[in-house]
Amino acid sequence: MLTGTQLISDLITNFDGQITHLEETAPGKIFITIEPETLTPLADYVMNNLGFRFVVNVGSDEVQLHGNYVISHIFSHDENKLFLCVRVHVDPANPFIDSITPLISGANWAEREARDMVGVHPKNHPDPRRLILADDWPDGVYPLRKDFPYDRKPPSQPKNRVKLKPPPEGAKVVPIGPFFPVLEEPAYFKVFVEGEKIVGCDYRGFYSHRGIEKMGDDVLTYNQICFIAERICGICGFVHSSCYCQAVEEAGGVEVPPRAQYIRTIMLELERIHSHLLWLGIAGHIIGFDTVLMQSWRIREPVMWLCEQITGNRKTYGMNLVGGVRRDIPKELHPKVHETIDKIEKETKALVNAILGDTSLHARLKNVGVLSKADALDKCVVGPVARGSGVNIDSRIDHPYAAYDKLDFKIAVHEEGCCWARTLVRLEELFEAIRIIQQALRDMPEGEIMTHEIEIPPNREAICAVEAPRGEAVHYVLTGSENRPYRWKVRAPTYPNLQAVPPIIKNEEIADVPIAIGSLDPCFSCTERMIVVNNKTDEETWNSQDLIRLSREKTEKIKKMISGKSNHV
Amino acid sequence: MFKNLLHNCFKKSIWVYNTNTGACNGCDIEVINVLTPYYDAERFGIKLVGTPRHADALLVSGPVTRQVVPALKNLYDSVPDPKLVIAIGSCAMGGGIWYNSYNVLGGVDKILPVDFFIPGCPPRPEAILYGVAVALGLVKKKVAPVTLKEESPEKWLKS
Repeated sequence: MLTGTQLISDLITNFDGQITHLEETAPGKIFITIEPETLTPLADYVMNNLGFRFVVNVGSDEVQLHGNYVISHIFSHDENKLFLCVRVHVDPANPFIDSITPLISGANWAEREARDMVGVHPKNHPDPRRLILADDWPDGVYPLRKDFPYDRKPPSQPKNRVKLKPPPEGAKVVPIGPFFPVLEEPAYFKVFVEGEKIVGCDYRGFYSHRGIEKMGDDVLTYNQICFIAERICGICGFVHSSCYCQAVEEAGGVEVPPRAQYIRTIMLELERIHSHLLWLGIAGHIIGFDTVLMQSWRIREPVMWLCEQITGNRKTYGMNLVGGVRRDIPKELHPKVHETIDKIEKETKALVNAILGDTSLHARLKNVGVLSKADALDKCVVGPVARGSGVNIDSRIDHPYAAYDKLDFKIAVHEEGCCWARTLVRLEELFEAIRIIQQALRDMPEGEIMTHEIEIPPNREAICAVEAPRGEAVHYVLTGSENRPYRWKVRAPTYPNLQAVPPIIKNEEIADVPIAIGSLDPCFSCTERMIVVNNKTDEETWNSQDLIRLSREKTEKIKKMISGKSNHV
Repeated sequence: MFKNLLHNCFKKSIWVYNTNTGACNGCDIEVINVLTPYYDAERFGIKLVGTPRHADALLVSGPVTRQVVPALKNLYDSVPDPKLVIAIGSCAMGGGIWYNSYNVLGGVDKILPVDFFIPGCPPRPEAILYGVAVALGLVKKKVAPVTLKEESPEKWLKS
C-alpha cells in the first residue's frame, strides 16, 4: 500500500533536485513540477516501478501566470487511490517536450492534442500527424493559446489535409466513415484488408470538435459550464457535469451536502441503466437481432420518463451546479423510482435469459474482437472494455466520489477480452446499478441539496474522475480569477478506448468489424459509403447496408450451421 | 403550393437518413427512439435507412463543425432529388450554444437549404414525429411565421 506521503518521499529520494515544486492538494491528489529532461525517466519510473496508469496529458498556456506553457501528465494508481499530476514547464521560445508515447502508446493522442491545441511539439513522437483540428485549419494557429479569441475563425488552408497511412503491400483499403447511418459521432476508419481478413487500420476523427474547453476558459462562468459540460455527450451528459462540478468543488474546497451527493449517485446510475440498455439494443441491431433492439429500447423508455419526472427533461438534465444539485428527489417520488427500476429489473432479466440461451449469439460474439490484457494496459483503455479484458479498474471504487464510498456494490470483471465478455460486463453492471439505486434511496439523508456560499480561489488545481457507462471520464480544472476556470480539460472515456480499435479488429473478418467496434460502445454500424479498392484498377462501391447485410448473413449462416449440427445429433 | 408539391413528391412513405454533424448524440438517440415500440414511426411509413442513396429526407442534428463540411456537402449531393432536409435540435437550427465557437460554422442552414426545423435540446420523440408529420402534410402546423416590425423608441416613451 502506497500512500500519498510515501509517494512524495519516494519521488524525492529518486529524483533529488529535479522536482521544483511538490504539493498534495487533496488526499491522494499529488501535483509535482519537474525539470523537462526528467519527464521520460520519471514517467518510466512511476509506470513501470510503481504501477501507475497513464490517464491523459493537459496542455495549457500559462504565459500570463509565469511566462511558460505547461504540459501536465496525469497518472493514476487505482489500487492505492492516487492521482499524480506531473507538470513540465515549456519555454514559449522553444516549445518542445520529450514524447512519452514510445514508453506507453496510450499517450499517443494526448500528446498530439497538446501539439494541435497549444503548440507544444512532442519530440520523437512516432506518429506526429494532426489529430484534432480540421483539415483546412491553418498552420501555426493554436486555439487554446490565451491570445486566440474563442470566436475567431481563421481562413481556410486546404493543403493541410491529414494523410492517412498507406496500406501494407498487397492489402486493399476499406474506408469506413465519416457518417454512420444510425448514431454517435462521425469518424473515419481506413481499414486495410487482405481478402476478408483485416491486417491493419488508420483513423481520422474529431469531426465533432466544438471547442468546448476554449469556451469554458474564455467566456463562460463556473456555473454556466455545468450546462455546457452536460452537452459534451447526450448519453452520459450527467457524468460530465458531475465530474466538472466535483473538480471545481475540490479546487475551491466546497463542501457538498450529503443529500446532493446521494442524488448525484442516483442520477448517475439511472444514466448507466439507460445507456447500457441502449447499447444492448444497438449491438443486437448490428448482428441482425432486431428483436433485442426493440425489446431493450422498450424496457429503457420508462427510465427516460422517470428522469423527466425527476429533472424536467428526458436527457441533459440540468441538475448540477457547483455546490450541489438544483432539484430534490422528494419522498413522494421514491415509490415511483422503485416501481420503475423493479420493472426494468424483471424485464431485463427475461431479455438477458433469452440472450444467454441463444447459441448463434454466442457464436457471433465469443472470441470476436479480442483485446488481450497486455494490449488493454498498453492502450490505457477504461470502463467495460478494460474490465472485459481482465483489468480491474472502476473509478467508483478507485477514486470514490459522490456517495459511492458509502454504498456496497460489486465490479464485474471478465478475463476473455472478447465482445461476449464486454457484453456480460455491461449486463452485470446494469443489475448492480439497480441495487445501487435501491441502497441510495434507502440511505439518503435529509437536509440541504445545495451549498450557497461559494468562494473559489484562483490558481488551484484539481482532478476528478467519474465512472461513465463507457468508462472513466476525467476532468482537470485550474481555477482562474474571473469567475471561470483558467484551464478546463475533459478526457472522455471513448478517447482511450478508440485508440484500441487497431488491435481489436486485427485478424478479424470484415463482417465482424461493426460488432467489434460497436462492442467498445463508441460507434457501431458503418457508413454512408464503403469502397473496396483493388490494388490495380478495380473499384467497387458498397454502402453501409451491404456491411450490415454481411454481418447479418454471417449470423444466418451460423444459425444454419448450428441447427444443422443439432439435426445430426 | 409548396405543401401540394411535397404531397406529390412524397406521396407514400418517406425514408430518412440520419446524420450527425457534430452533435452530442442526444438528438440522434431520440431519432432512434422514434423508431422503437413506444413511438413506432414506421406506422407512418417513415423508415431509417443505412445509406443516403436510398433516402428521401436527410435528418441533420448538431452544429456544423469545420471538419464535417466537405463530408456533409458530399452527403447532400448523394441523396437523390427531390429531397428534404430536416434540421433536428437547437444546435442544427442555429448552432445552439456553440454558435460562435472557433470550430463551428453555425446551423445546418449555413451549408444546406433546410426545409424544416424541429427545435428542442434534445427534441422529444413526440416533437420529432410531429415535425416530420407536419413536413408530410399529415397534420396542421400550429404556429405561423411572425414578422417583426421595428418601432421607434419615441412611441414607447410616449405611451
